[in-house]
Amino acid sequence: MPDGWILDATEAPDGAHLLLWVKDDRTGRVAPTTIPYRPPFLVDGPRRLLEELAHTLDDDPAVAALGWRNESTTFYDPKPRRVLAVTASRNDGRARLAAAIDRRGEYRRFLLYDVDMTPGQMYHLAHGTYPFAPVDRDGSEFRATMPAEATDVPPPPLVVAPFEVVLAGHKRGTVVPPDPRLSGVRLGEALIEGEEAEVFRALSDELDRLDPDVLLSNDGDGFDVPWLYERARAIGLTSRTFSLGRMPAPLVAAGGARTFVSYGRIYHRPASFPLPGRFHVDRESSFVYDDAGIDGLVDAARLSRISLQTVARQSPGTAFTAMEIAQALRLGIHVPWKKNRPESFKSARRLVDADRGGVILVPPPGVFDQVDEFDFASLYPHIMVRHNLSAETLECACCPDSPERAPGLGYRSCQKRVGLIPRTLEPLLARRLAWKRDAARSDLPEVERRKASQRAKMLKWVLVTAFGYQGYRNARFGRIECHEAINAYARDLIARLHPFAEAAGYRVRHGLVDSLWLTALSPDHPPDANAFAESVTRAFDLPLHYEGRYRWIVFLPTVEGDVGVPNRYYGRYESGEFKLRGIGLRRHDTPQLVRRFETELLEMLGHASSAEEVRALVPRLLARADVFAESVRTGTWPREELLIAHRVARRAEEFVAFTDTTAALRQLKDVGVDRGPGETVRYLVADRRSRSWRDRVRVAERLGGDEAYDADAYLEMLARSAETLLVPLGIDRALLGERWQLPASPGRDRYRSPERPGQRRLAEPPTRPRSPKEERRSPNGSWERGPVGPRTRRSRWLPAKARGSKLG
Amino acid sequence: MGRTVPTYRQALEERMKRWDAFGRLLTTPEEREAFRSLVTAARRYAAQATYVGSPDLLESIVLAILLDLAVRMPKTAGVDAAATRRAV
Repeated sequence: MPDGWILDATEAPDGAHLLLWVKDDRTGRVAPTTIPYRPPFLVDGPRRLLEELAHTLDDDPAVAALGWRNESTTFYDPKPRRVLAVTASRNDGRARLAAAIDRRGEYRRFLLYDVDMTPGQMYHLAHGTYPFAPVDRDGSEFRATMPAEATDVPPPPLVVAPFEVVLAGHKRGTVVPPDPRLSGVRLGEALIEGEEAEVFRALSDELDRLDPDVLLSNDGDGFDVPWLYERARAIGLTSRTFSLGRMPAPLVAAGGARTFVSYGRIYHRPASFPLPGRFHVDRESSFVYDDAGIDGLVDAARLSRISLQTVARQSPGTAFTAMEIAQALRLGIHVPWKKNRPESFKSARRLVDADRGGVILVPPPGVFDQVDEFDFASLYPHIMVRHNLSAETLECACCPDSPERAPGLGYRSCQKRVGLIPRTLEPLLARRLAWKRDAARSDLPEVERRKASQRAKMLKWVLVTAFGYQGYRNARFGRIECHEAINAYARDLIARLHPFAEAAGYRVRHGLVDSLWLTALSPDHPPDANAFAESVTRAFDLPLHYEGRYRWIVFLPTVEGDVGVPNRYYGRYESGEFKLRGIGLRRHDTPQLVRRFETELLEMLGHASSAEEVRALVPRLLARADVFAESVRTGTWPREELLIAHRVARRAEEFVAFTDTTAALRQLKDVGVDRGPGETVRYLVADRRSRSWRDRVRVAERLGGDEAYDADAYLEMLARSAETLLVPLGIDRALLGERWQLPASPGRDRYRSPERPGQRRLAEPPTRPRSPKEERRSPNGSWERGPVGPRTRRSRWLPAKARGSKLG
Repeated sequence: MGRTVPTYRQALEERMKRWDAFGRLLTTPEEREAFRSLVTAARRYAAQATYVGSPDLLESIVLAILLDLAVRMPKTAGVDAAATRRAV
């Protein structure tokens, strides 16, 4: 057994040391070892300017040491260069010092390296250690007993404790009452209750006794920790007298909350509270925890050499970048601070050619049976490895005649050196395969299989970002031409597969980047699917997996109903498993009512074993839908199940139309809750025709459980949901609207947004503060007023009913 | 998401918005139905058009529509190759 386990390497408050948190294997206690460590960063530039810089920095108090080194910096040119190594006097001052040097060089004369890695990450890379490494102690030195990349490194003995804070008179998810007291804290199995000061005392004792390594919370960054700290300060506790970590730390957040956009969706991330020596995994603000679990996070932390805290909080791309960095430093390449490689010059014609994604076929809408599905496993990473696609190996100077060229684009791949990206990816692919094999091993206990599957999922996310980061402008080792080349190889692959599949007796029904749906050319003689997958794997040197045969699969059409939507389908495999894509159940904003409805419809469809039997189910499906409709109509459906969750895209005052969300935001504001972009509002639709924010919806935070709801609005949702699922069977909104006597459909025109009752344009936000006189003129009701004159005039033209009573 | 060139599908939908005006002024249901089938054809072969990557949007649209017509043309009414040769 090892002497202990490294958990984390954090910066010491003095700025000149590192704290290595090691868990003793015998006692299970964790203690920090203080290690003097101040890693330098490198500055490259014209010799004369570097010498001038060294002269200036010589008596700068922010600089602890200077030195000259011969290092190869850029991976485009391995020849060593003479560079200046600058050691900052404090580790937390490195970025500031680097920025000052960059500014001195007018942001172009100097190139800086190794600036923004954390000291912990650099320590690990320089000393052959890694997070969660089993280590032997040798004086004050720790040596890892196994390399991070080994697949048989045992899991660290971690104590994981669920953590939750309870405020007096408050139910989770509702508005916090004014001036709340702490009434309890849940830590691990213990529920600590009592008078506030007593709770804090008992919590400290329990933290000492249980000594958890990981606190696991739901929205701990947004709720539990800030409220706990708030109350601690209120009763006079300080960082000296109370700490959630293993060392005193200020009872405040580090850094502010953040709102950002990723793949077209707005996210909100609350500020974080670092707990030295301990990890806090907040399921709400962790991209990957739900998929990867602690085991997946541990695996990624080991490979990337970054703290589990960072892996949990940041996107898998951060972990992938850190893995690239680890690989680069091993090759003796340093890490550029700012990417200084612009996109190559391209003609418009070339750009049209290059800037394309993978193949996305248009499936025929309808019900099909006997469909075989095949997927390439990690197709894009495999392409990068097979064709040696990496920023420095693409269009390299050393192989002008390389026969390895991206189809249609002609980008050459190097034949002499293996690129950084393939070097990073190849072991990851092998590792993921090993975890997947473990997950399928029947001789392993269930819990081990689950852990292996979580590790595989974590790596899957990392591999997915590996491709995306090639096209991301800030990715350190990314290059857009790589991104283009990968897509070109993938398109070419699918095109070459077509005749191959037909020769094997298949007909292509649908294809989506790395997946294929095939049916037999002659239904009586279906080809051997496994043999086909193997022959493709051999012929194309890329692993094709047979996912399974569908008893039936429904490809769903577009709103106009003419062609299929590539990623909207559902079906049932012969194994009995369902696969659902792009339908309500997979969306986040679907109310529970609709989920329940869709689940029941799917359960009924599950009994069918062929397309024919699916079609025969129509009368029973309709009858079931009617039962739902009737129940909703009576107004007795549980209100909790009617809540719609909506991710806010704008600030309340920026909305130009009065929608459910606008009304919900306004209601929240009324009770003192401010929600911004990326945060979620949940509400019940009370009266969709209402023009008053008070009456239109009821936010979840103020839900009583007996308020009236807009039955028509929910029936409309049911009808839409049924249409989405069942339109290939002839069940659509019009048919259900007639059965359920719904008001005429608002109509769906692809090019114009439907005019919904109760939706109206709001005035532009006022550019000057309103005078009290104008304020008084506004009646209650709507919360953003337009100019009074025109609206009044227009309202007169409308019948009283359409005007809405609230406007008066 | 940082793309420089609109995808074929985006460009197609932009163009279809313009075609939409054309369709709206057609007077008989048969004409409108036929017009719809043209739009559908253009959408049906979006993957193939993307694969070609032609800078000429209309070329891809026309090719898709012609193919759709060729597929749907009754076999018997198709061109008799031998007859054509004789005529030439």
